[in-house]
Formats: sequence, structure tokens, C-alpha cells
Amino acid sequence: MTAEPYSARVRELFAAPAHAGDLKSGQSAQVEAQDLRLRLSAVTSDGAIATMRFRAWGCPHSIAAAEAACNALEGQPVAALLEFSAHDLMEYLSVPVEKTGRILVLEDAVRSLGLKFRDGP
Amino acid sequence: MDERPVYLDYAASTPVDPQIWDFMRDLSARTCANASSTHAAGRLAQSVIADAADRLAALLHTEPRKLIWTSGATESDNLAILGGARYRAHRGRHVVTMRTEHKAVTDAFARLAAEGFDVTWLDPDPNGILDPNVFAAALRDDTQLASIMFVNNETGVMQDIDALGGLCRERDILFHVDAAQAAGKVRIDLEELPVDLLSLTAHKFYGPKGIGALYIADRPGCHVEPLLFGGGQQRRIRPGTMPTELIAGLGKAAEIATERMDADLRHLAAMRDRMWTGIADVGGLLRNGEADGFPGILNVSAAGVEGESLLLALEPLLVATGSACNSTNQEPSYVLRALGRSDAEAQSAIRFSFGRPTTGQEVRFAVERYRAAVARLRELAPGRAA
Repeated sequence: MTAEPYSARVRELFAAPAHAGDLKSGQSAQVEAQDLRLRLSAVTSDGAIATMRFRAWGCPHSIAAAEAACNALEGQPVAALLEFSAHDLMEYLSVPVEKTGRILVLEDAVRSLGLKFRDGP
Repeated sequence: MDERPVYLDYAASTPVDPQIWDFMRDLSARTCANASSTHAAGRLAQSVIADAADRLAALLHTEPRKLIWTSGATESDNLAILGGARYRAHRGRHVVTMRTEHKAVTDAFARLAAEGFDVTWLDPDPNGILDPNVFAAALRDDTQLASIMFVNNETGVMQDIDALGGLCRERDILFHVDAAQAAGKVRIDLEELPVDLLSLTAHKFYGPKGIGALYIADRPGCHVEPLLFGGGQQRRIRPGTMPTELIAGLGKAAEIATERMDADLRHLAAMRDRMWTGIADVGGLLRNGEADGFPGILNVSAAGVEGESLLLALEPLLVATGSACNSTNQEPSYVLRALGRSDAEAQSAIRFSFGRPTTGQEVRFAVERYRAAVARLRELAPGRAA
């Protein structure tokens, strides 16, 4: 291990992810690539994302990013799932550039979830 | 227990024994002279180095004149492998080693391959053991050097150095042993073992960093070409001003290790067994390496757990992971892959390594933290997609 690999934000979100888990209703999408297996679930209400949860097998940056994404998307219009970009998360969490691929997997998962809401499962 | 770091990475490095610091500090106050100088202060430095050689020789059951001081095990390994193979290159250019050796060895062999040597890479069995029959079958008429480690740094697996060395001695092949994880920890008797070259470093057994040694047997054809040039020290095999204080520190560490070895081994076995007993029922765990290897190391993979996250979730435990664990390289351990572990198994591996200062309370804390971390990460992970 070289210099401190995790930002304080990553450590905080990794240690206590408030959005970890599944939802019994709504839609879910699962993707697996780039050393990350991720499932996202969401329930909507009045066109907005009411609740969002994730499960992840991956590195601390991936878990922190999934938690941050859930937190950011709750309360947003459902269409925000299709417009989600991981770019801001990379900066927000100080994700090293070599892990860009994993964060893009998260982006794919969010958009996949958006497609399920738009087109059905 | 509070959240202070708990160090269980003694295979990576050990703290310098306070007695050794005191010894080195006292020595440094007595002489700053170069041991190559002929005046009284220089002769004092020479005598200090001679005392250290006596102490190390006693630990290894050999003679002081057969020891060469180096900067550590990496240099010793390089000097033995590159220097030994080059010295014997006129006889043949085939060399043999294992895939589970430390990088200081594998990279030296890769260098030999680049120089035109023919390298045979041997695989261990699933427990990490090199079958002497497999080793014997790899030896050829033109084989000039073989290198097999004493104790594996990741798994603690111990090879049958006596049997493997015997096969080399029968064929007049130089036999090098990387003993970085063994010296000062397990009994090494170079009067009995058929070993030609043996590498060690002080910081693995409570001595200072930056000092190691290479043992070179005194028998015909057993020699190494130097890697460094520039002085007549150490029979020109390893020229350069000798670091008197560091050498003295190594010697003192050897003396302490000689006195404490049996007690240390019992302590390490107790700590390792307590750790394994505490986590063995977690489920989905795979112990890497034979169970009766060096007792200071316990290597465990956990199914369904990602290694980098496990390492972070284990904090404040300071342990090693089965991957290289740096932000640019998270390849699964090549050592565990050579044992037949899958990428996922190797990537989830944690190496706990125990030392003289390890306490039962620390191990209990490690057990609790490991159980909680594995449970949390498994709970967090989604199942495989249908």
C-alpha cells in the first residue's frame, strides 16, 4: 500500500452505508464487470425516486460510490437515472483514475435501472 | 480494547528489539571509524563486526568466515542467484526455481533468462510443498544453480531443504536458499544442511533494516561473481564500507534469536492456533498452505469477500492482503495462484503474521474484527445474477 488510498469521504461511506440492502418492490438492476458486482434497487413515487438501495461486491471506492449515488439520486426525478454521470462522483470521492472503469460500471447500473423504469423489466 | 492499530504483519517486518537499539547506540558512541582503517578505532570497528559474525554464525551453526554482509535479503538473493549462475555459466546455463518464490528471487531469475539462461519454474502441490521427485526430475546435466525458499513469506509453507539440497549436492549443483522468513525464527543448521548459499535479513527477526547476509559454503565450485565493484572488502565479493552499527545490530538480533528460538516458536504457534480456532467456523474460509508450516503465518481466503474491502474493514488491524494492494496493481497473489487458488480466492486472502510482541488480547481483537468484517461484506454483496 502506498500513500493513503482512501479519502475521508470514502472511509465514511464505506464504514456506514445507509443505503445498503434490497427493496421488495420497485425495480432493480444488476451488473457485473471490472471487479465489481452491483445491484441497485429503487422505488418511485409521483415520478420521483423515493427510496434507493444497493448491494455491492467490490473495492471500497466502489462501495462508497454506490452509497453516494443512492444518496444523490433519492428525491430526484426518475429521468435522472438515465442522465446519471459518474464523472462528479470520481471527483467527490477522489477515486484514483485506474478505478475509473469500476465507477463507470456503477454508471451503467444506474442507467440500466432507469431503463427498467422507462421500458419495464 | 480501543481502536489503536494492532500490528499483525511481522512477516513484512519486525520492530527492532529495544536491547538492540541500545546496543547499537552504545556502539555508535564508542566508534565512528571505518572498519577498513588500520588505526585503533578502525580495529575496534573490525572487532565489533567479528563479534557480530560470531553471533550470526552461532545462530546458523556455521563459521563466521563463510558470511558476507549485504544490505538485506534482496541483495543477498541477487548476489547468490546472479553471481552464482554467472560464476558457473561456463559449465552450463540451466537454472531451477519455484513460482512461489519471493520477487527478489523470481525477478533475479527473470534477469538470468534475459541473459540467455534457461530457467525452469516449478509449481508446488496445492499445499505449497515442492515434491522432491518433481524437483529431481527438473535437474539436468547442465543445471548449475537451484533456488528454493525455506519459509514462504505469504503462506508460511516450509520446504524440505534437506532433501532438495541433497539432490543438488549429489549433482554438484549450487543450491541457494532464501531464508528471509526463516533465519532467526526456525532452526537452521548449516553444518548439517546441504546448502551452498543462504540469504537472510535482520529486520525479519527484530534487527535493523538495511542489513543482511549471504552464507557461502566452502566447497569447490561454490562461489559467486560480485555485483558491485570498488573496494577490497569482504574478499571483493561484496565491496563497500561495512555499516558497523547495523552489522552489530544483526549480530545482537542473532544472539537473542538463538536464546529465544524455542520459546518464540511456542508463542507463535499459540497465537496462530488461537487465531485459526477463533475464525475457523466462519464458513467459506480456505486456509492457504499446509497447516503445520511456520507458525508465525496464517493465510486465509474468504469466499464471497472482496480483498481490498476486507483489508479496509479490518482496520485497525495491520495485516497483509493476497493482492499486491496498491492503487495501480491489484493482481491476485501469484503465490496463491500457483497453489491453484482462483483469482477470487487469492484476492480475498489475508495474511496474519505474528511476532514476539503479539499478545493474546490482540489476537482476540483480530478474531472479532475478522469475523465482523467478513459477515458485513458478505451481507453487503449481491448474489450472482441468474
